[in-house]
Amino acid sequence: MDSPAAAKADHTVLAGFDFVKEKSGIREFRLRSNGLRLLMIENRVAPVVTFAIVYHVGSRNEAVGYTGATHLLEHLMFKGTPDYNRERGTAIAAVLERLGARFNATTWFDRTNYYETIPSDRLEEAVKLEASRVRQSLLRDEDRQPEMTVVRNEFEMGENSPFQVLYKHSFATAFREHPYHHPTIGWRSDIEGMTTQRLREFYDAFYQPNNATALVIGDFEGTQALETVGRHFGSISSSPCPIPRVYTVEPPQEGERRFIVRRAGQVAWCALSWRTVEALHPDTHALAVLGNILGGGLTSRLYQALVEQNLTLSVMVVPWQLRDPGLLSVFSPVRPGVEPALVESTIRQELTRVAREGVTAAEVAKARTQIEAEVIFDRDSTDAIAASLSEAIAVADWEWYAQYPAAIQRVTSEDVRRVAEAYLHDDGLTVGLFMPKNGAGQTSSVEPEP
Amino acid sequence: MTAPAWPAAPARGRLPFAEAVRQRTLPNGARLFVLENHFNPTVAVSGGLHAGSLFAPSDRRLLASVTAGELAKGTERHTKLQIAEDLESRGISLSFSSDSSDPVGVDIGGAALSRDLDLFLDRLVEILRFPVFPDEELDKEKKRIVGSIRQQQDQTSARAYEAATRRIYPLEHPLRRRTGPERIAAVEALTRDDLVHFYQQRYGAGTLQLVVVGDVVAEEVFDALEKCLASWKAGPGCEIPTVPVPLEAPDQETIQMPDKANADVLLMEPADLTRPDPSYLACTLANSALGQSSLTSRLGVRVRDTEGLTYGIHSSFHAGHVAGPFVVSVTVRPASRDAAVASTLDEIARFLRTGLIEKELEDEKSSRIGKFKVDLASNAGIAQAIDSAVYYGFEIEYLDLFPTLVEAVTKEQADAAFSRRVHPEQFTIVSAGSFSKEGGRT
Repeated sequence: MDSPAAAKADHTVLAGFDFVKEKSGIREFRLRSNGLRLLMIENRVAPVVTFAIVYHVGSRNEAVGYTGATHLLEHLMFKGTPDYNRERGTAIAAVLERLGARFNATTWFDRTNYYETIPSDRLEEAVKLEASRVRQSLLRDEDRQPEMTVVRNEFEMGENSPFQVLYKHSFATAFREHPYHHPTIGWRSDIEGMTTQRLREFYDAFYQPNNATALVIGDFEGTQALETVGRHFGSISSSPCPIPRVYTVEPPQEGERRFIVRRAGQVAWCALSWRTVEALHPDTHALAVLGNILGGGLTSRLYQALVEQNLTLSVMVVPWQLRDPGLLSVFSPVRPGVEPALVESTIRQELTRVAREGVTAAEVAKARTQIEAEVIFDRDSTDAIAASLSEAIAVADWEWYAQYPAAIQRVTSEDVRRVAEAYLHDDGLTVGLFMPKNGAGQTSSVEPEP
Repeated sequence: MTAPAWPAAPARGRLPFAEAVRQRTLPNGARLFVLENHFNPTVAVSGGLHAGSLFAPSDRRLLASVTAGELAKGTERHTKLQIAEDLESRGISLSFSSDSSDPVGVDIGGAALSRDLDLFLDRLVEILRFPVFPDEELDKEKKRIVGSIRQQQDQTSARAYEAATRRIYPLEHPLRRRTGPERIAAVEALTRDDLVHFYQQRYGAGTLQLVVVGDVVAEEVFDALEKCLASWKAGPGCEIPTVPVPLEAPDQETIQMPDKANADVLLMEPADLTRPDPSYLACTLANSALGQSSLTSRLGVRVRDTEGLTYGIHSSFHAGHVAGPFVVSVTVRPASRDAAVASTLDEIARFLRTGLIEKELEDEKSSRIGKFKVDLASNAGIAQAIDSAVYYGFEIEYLDLFPTLVEAVTKEQADAAFSRRVHPEQFTIVSAGSFSKEGGRT
């Protein structure tokens, strides 16, 4: 428990941090020395804590020639720093494994995050490790070579998945100018051709404390945790140059776009995506409710129209929430024997019906309850909170995260009808089909024993 | 701006599981477990009963998974849509499934806000006790399953796995996966009578266990469940037939699948390790050092980190009530298959020659104990841990003793348990992908 003296010390600048504000159980601090933002949420559901660091850099910050740089860099961040490396027996992943950490790093359009959930008494070790890779990653060429082929294999795994192929093509078709055009994993030739020097430039531009937000979530002693983060991050300098900003804007789409991917396969897929808005836009919440009404469970409209009618095997609706205007997408694998065109027209009819006739108050109430329940379930575990909060601060800010449940509760059936009408129109639509070539998957040859 | 004071932290530590978990066994055999955890207004359920594929005829093992999947498609009291509406309108999740990797159990899982506890438990028991298996729902589901099987047939990992099981397990073994066309034929032949018959034979309170964790009052949960479960028949008991482990014999197969940028390779052999086996911890600690993590285990450090041949390489024992195989899985670009397999075999041979290094064992113990604590960080995680311990015949106290048991494993025990079961010269190696005639041959 905090001592009264420690609690009192909180009211002043502590461990080099300025207190910024508190809302909904989230406290924001900023490190005076370098601008690192720190968010803290106490959650004592179990004696564990999640430490995460979100760098505000993703594939949105890339361009042709170095697509996939953010992701490849994320891999190289595990190759070591002067204090943590295999040669010293302190490889980053090995240290985290020893702690029993649930850890990983992920890259997406708008961010890169690193996180570890650990027993509460091991927090300092995670903080120290993350602090060391803010500015001290080794980024050696001899590490990039084998890691490039690891990432290329990850790319190849994605190419085996019709869903991933369709999502990548949908963004590439719907966005022509904005960097959401290219996939986070990058184009194959960029993955193969990118130099270590280019990656270092990218690292120097974006891996800076003033371009990062640290999160401490779970069972921790407040003052002590603040001091720990301050002690390990406080001496890192802020970036010598301003963080480069993305200024490219995707112009309005002026007509339906279509693409077809023909590959060997057994099952066709349909993907329909409509241009929508950025996460901070006031229509985001109505679009989330719309997504739930269309695809949230067995009672949803598209499940009933597609899966229950034996037209498709499943259906997934994704109202992407991104920093810049994104998409609302419907993905569905077509039941063999059914024409993909019938699936496409059924989806379009259902969405047109929503735009024309609206949705019922009961549907909105159900969606609101489901989203409310998801938020409460998230609080069951510190890493679920960290995951949701990481996404929120990447695409918007933490206050947006804190206000999200209330904003969802304010959505009305008229809001849902209005956003369906405003965004789900043909001019903003991209239709993608994955069409299997005949005879695929049937051939099998047996080789003799070696 | 000044920060408000931190709220006082509650006292650290939790009661031992042996004290915190309340139990009630009903006269018909149903075993109920409740752990109160009032930090968040949610409740998680984990449980199951013995109605898996081991108890279905060997030529149509999937009768078990289809029966479990059809339970919620309508009861004597509610239609499928009414059930779904009741659950979804409250954000409740509830699932009944039988996974082919565990031939014994049907899994029950779910979560709800604690304010909806009554309805949650009521529907759970209603679905278990009073399913009607409507014909029209089964017809729909059969079509969906056939499509899903065809979808699976497109996946290199699924194709490699099922082919490998066909090479190491005899026809009647519950872990042997039939070919896609065989499974499709078996699904198409299923009738409602088959499901009803299997349900009547296998479902009952005698093997049922339910674990409820969260913002609940234990006695209220026990009373509510007892009220609706007490009159259920006991059904079959908990005896599990022994499944013999087949002899090992090396084998190899390449499955050509066009247009696959990535290939999946499996190295597999039958093993005799079950979860209740006393050497389970020793054996799996050794395996963790070899191949649990693509980033830190020996296989990962060699084949991924140093040679860059794979995104993912893992080794594991599939140990449940039925002893499953020892499996090494590797993803590769097709042209790298030979190199990846050679390095994998070389690394396993080296591991068998030298055994664990003491420091590796210490690291793996530290990791296993830490992960155990981290996994207990949610109601769902706690419920699953209790459920798993009970399912495999351990006392609740096992969860309290777990760190000590892990600490007690010696290098000699780990090496012996592992080397007794892993024989690279006996591996069946199956790869699925787009391999050229010139390259990628093993």
